[in-house]
Amino acid sequence: MSTVLEQIEQQIAKLQNKAVKKNTGTIRSVADGVARLDGLSDVMYNEMIEFPGGTIGIALNLEEDEVGCVVLGDISKLKEGDECKTTGRLLSVPVGKALLGRTVDALGNPVDGKGPVDAKEFYPVEKIAPGIIVRKSVTQPVFTGIMAIDSMIPIGRGQRELIIGDRGTGKTTIAIDTIINQAKINRVGLASGDPKFRPMYSIYVAIGQKNSNIVRTMAALEAAGALEFTIIVAAAASENPANQYLAPYSGAAMGEWFMENGMDALIVYDDLSKHAVAYRQISLILKRPSGREAYPGDVFYLHSRLLERAARLDGKGSLTALPIIETLAGDLSAYIPTNVISITDGQIFLETDLFNQGTRPAVSVGLSVSRVGSAAQIKATKQVGGKLKGELAQFRELAAFAQFGADLDARTKAQLDRGTRIVELFKQPAFNPIPIEQQVVTLWAMQKGYYDAIDLKKVNAAAVKLREFFATRKDALLTKIRNKAALDAELEAEIKTAVDEWKATYAG
Amino acid sequence: MSSQKQIQHLARQLFRLSLADGRLSDERVAGVLEYVEKTKPAHATAVLKAFHRLVAAEVARGQAVVEHAGPVSAETLQSIASSLTKRYGRPIAAASRPNPALLAGLRVRVGDDIYESSVSGQLSQLAAAV
Repeated sequence: MSTVLEQIEQQIAKLQNKAVKKNTGTIRSVADGVARLDGLSDVMYNEMIEFPGGTIGIALNLEEDEVGCVVLGDISKLKEGDECKTTGRLLSVPVGKALLGRTVDALGNPVDGKGPVDAKEFYPVEKIAPGIIVRKSVTQPVFTGIMAIDSMIPIGRGQRELIIGDRGTGKTTIAIDTIINQAKINRVGLASGDPKFRPMYSIYVAIGQKNSNIVRTMAALEAAGALEFTIIVAAAASENPANQYLAPYSGAAMGEWFMENGMDALIVYDDLSKHAVAYRQISLILKRPSGREAYPGDVFYLHSRLLERAARLDGKGSLTALPIIETLAGDLSAYIPTNVISITDGQIFLETDLFNQGTRPAVSVGLSVSRVGSAAQIKATKQVGGKLKGELAQFRELAAFAQFGADLDARTKAQLDRGTRIVELFKQPAFNPIPIEQQVVTLWAMQKGYYDAIDLKKVNAAAVKLREFFATRKDALLTKIRNKAALDAELEAEIKTAVDEWKATYAG
Repeated sequence: MSSQKQIQHLARQLFRLSLADGRLSDERVAGVLEYVEKTKPAHATAVLKAFHRLVAAEVARGQAVVEHAGPVSAETLQSIASSLTKRYGRPIAAASRPNPALLAGLRVRVGDDIYESSVSGQLSQLAAAV
């Protein structure tokens, strides 16, 4: 027995004395967040490089006799001649539920002053998107809580829906509303104790934004009680472009953890225009050939590989992506907008004119589309809002015609009146998502002409009152609509009785 | 082609001319230097610097610098050289260099690769892990 023990001890001693191999290089130059390195003959593409002081870099250009590496973090301590080494690891970030309620940087380090993140697992930042076989088509809805979107441009779990528009048109507000609505649904669902209920966790990736905006978003989420279901990945405008370039991939890795573990997650990339700009900066400094608008040749792949990671997996969970793109003067045909439009499964286009006219959310019904979401829409919404998109499109056409002051027949006037009422009805304040059952009731009343007798300016207020009436007095009916998700004759009769009751009490 | 690229290109060409049977040849290096002196190409200093870097990297690839804190016997150096020659599949000569900062043990450098088996290396690893 003693000889066996001796053998084991010898083996341990051998292991402990084993030499550690390191592949090293030296810094040839450091400029603009990019280091050029000599040596590192074993380095792999996208491998983490360790610099003195623990600073991390990523090898992005492997050339014949030098390596181009973006430095994540403080480059002021690095100097020419410093030694660096390969780590044999791809860049990974912490993942898991421990991150919920936290704000982290592109590397997953907490930046909210709430102490360290107790994450047990790490996922690589760059990962190949799920293939064809493991995917499942989109059939489950994601309720944004925005009536115009849920009724006309529905989104499904695993879909990629682009939010696009000029600056200051309410793109971020739509994304935040959606996150808040998920938190509300989660709270109701978890409280109901339904074993089939699948909560939806959210990840908000802020790329190149002002720190003050990020703080405002955090405050809005916290005030709405949504922060506990949300992870915020912040790569502010003050951070180096490498962090801004990496942040969406880090967020995607965090979302993938939920998807791989049978949960559902929603990820918002706010915004990919700034992401493309950060990548352009890195590519130009790395002396990669530039193409249209000075973007590198692989700028399409930059976004396609990111958005392809959003999916619904068979037997697992889903990752829904809401990328945001900022246009200039409503130009949808610019380089990055066309790229992302072609990658995603539809877009919500926000118009400056509508926004300035007071139609908020300023969703342009004509230019917005959801390619796969209708399969995920619940039957009740289809029943009450199925024809809305067509009606609104007709209204826009007629409204343009009516501007010339032509004499209009009674039917056209009625159509115009109805369209104006629908537009009024869809107006919704920020950070105030409407539950889907309330949307069904509101649209049902619209469909049945309950707002026709109400003064146009008071339609929205009347709808708010109707929802208040249902929330306070008809909670059981709302629960019934939510659970059935379809309107049958019996349910419609109940809704009619309730709406009639409201109508009798409504003073206008 | 930008001047920087031209410099790199020429330096690489000169380096290839310095190799005989895949190994650096002293005569050929001398010949290359003579050629540069005679023809004086544009940016000659930069070309020579780039050439120097390539040659230095090649020399380092064929040499194992054995840093040690205590005494190292000739047999140990010989065994290190032969095992590295076997591992890399090219002749590698060992050169000893005393380095008391290692405290104890050895550190062997071959080109970009470092084999760390010293107390100071283990201490710094420990410090990074804590």
